Amino acid sequence: MSEPSDDLERRFRAALPDRDDPECPTADAYWAAAAGELPFERVRTLVDHGATCARCAEAWRILVDVRRAASDAGTPASDPPPLRSLVGGAPGRPRLRTGTLLPLALSAMAAVGLWVVLRPPPVRPPPVERGTGNGAAVRAESPEVQPARDAVLRWSEVPGASSYNVTVLTPDLVVVHQAVGVSGREFRLPEALRQRAAGSELLWNVDAVMPDGRTVASPTFELRLGAGP
Amino acid sequence: MTPTRGGDAGSQDPDPDSIERIRQVLIRAVERHCPPALAAHREDLVQMAVLRLLERPRSEGSAPRGASYLWRVAYTVVIDEIRRFRRQQRQTEQLPGDEGGTPGPEVRSELLECLGALQDRRRTAVTLHLQGFRMGEVAAALGWSEKQAENLVYRGLADLRACLEGGNT
Repeated sequence: MSEPSDDLERRFRAALPDRDDPECPTADAYWAAAAGELPFERVRTLVDHGATCARCAEAWRILVDVRRAASDAGTPASDPPPLRSLVGGAPGRPRLRTGTLLPLALSAMAAVGLWVVLRPPPVRPPPVERGTGNGAAVRAESPEVQPARDAVLRWSEVPGASSYNVTVLTPDLVVVHQAVGVSGREFRLPEALRQRAAGSELLWNVDAVMPDGRTVASPTFELRLGAGP
Repeated sequence: MTPTRGGDAGSQDPDPDSIERIRQVLIRAVERHCPPALAAHREDLVQMAVLRLLERPRSEGSAPRGASYLWRVAYTVVIDEIRRFRRQQRQTEQLPGDEGGTPGPEVRSELLECLGALQDRRRTAVTLHLQGFRMGEVAAALGWSEKQAENLVYRGLADLRACLEGGNT
C-alpha cells in the first residue's frame, strides 16, 4: 500500500496551472459527476480537466465541502430515527411492556412540556422581510426609463423606517453601486455610474432599515437609461 | 413600474435557516479553497450567489425537488459568481493569473506528466483523491464499490510515486 498522500496533494495543488480557460465545464457538470450521475468516460474527462486547471480544481474542492455539508444536513431526513424500536415494532427485538413504557412516556411528555415553557427565546439575526402586499411593501416611484444625465431612483415610504440602503446592479446581477443609510426616499445615481451605464439597463432594489435592525427588502426594479447626456 | 425579480411571493422562498446554513458553508469553502485575493471577497461573492439563488424563477424553485437540489443550485451559482468575478477583475485590472501559488514549470510538468501517464481508471481515482475526495466519494462518483476505489487509488498513488522518484534520480 502507499504512504499517506498529503505531500502529493500539496504538490498537485501547487502544480496546477492558473490559466483562463473559456472551455471550463459547468459547475453543474461537476456536481453531476460527484453525484454519480454520469458515465465513467464523462467523469474521466471532467476529472482530467480539473488536473490541468487550478480554477476547476478549486471548484472540485469547494464541491467536496458543499456536498459533505449537504449530506450532513440531510442525514436526519434520510436516516429515520429508531422510533420503531422505541415502540417495540422492530422484528426480533424484545418488546417493552406497557407497564414499563407508560411511566417513561409520561416523564418524556412532562419534560417536553417543561422545556417548552422554560426554554430561552431563540437568538435570531434581525429578519429581512420581503414585500408581502400588506402595506409595508416597497414600490418604485421613479420612471423605468430615464435620461442618463439625471437619473433618480425614488421609492414608496416604509412607515417607521429610519433609513434606506440602495443597491444598483447590472442585469447579470453584478453590484455596481451601493448607498447605505440614505435618509430620504430618493437617490440620485452618481455621475460616474450614469456615464458608464448610459444607454443600458440597470436593476435596483432598496432595503428599508427599521429602528430595531429589521430590514424590509423591496423587489428588484428595472431602470433603463437613455443614451448619453 | 413592475418588479423584475424577488417580488412579493415570499411564502414560496426556501426555508431561511437552510439558506443561512448554505451561506455559511459557501463562505467557509471559498475562504478555505480560493486564493487570498479572491477569498477576501467571499462575503460579497456568496451574498450575490444567494441573491441569485433566491431570485431564480419560481418554476426552478427548490421545493418540489428537495433540499439537495437547493445545495446543488447554491454550489453552481457560487462557482458561476467566482468565475464572473474573475472575468470582471481581469477586464478591469488587467491582472491575469496574479494570485500567486503557481510554481515553476519544471515542478508543474513533472507531477502532472506522471499523473497523466497513469492508466485511465487509476488516474481518475487518484485525481479525485488529490482533489480531496474520500474513498466513498470516489466510489460514488465513479460507480465503483468502495473497495474497488480504494484499490485503484492506492495503486495509482504507488505508480505516481514511482514515476516521480524515477524522474528525480
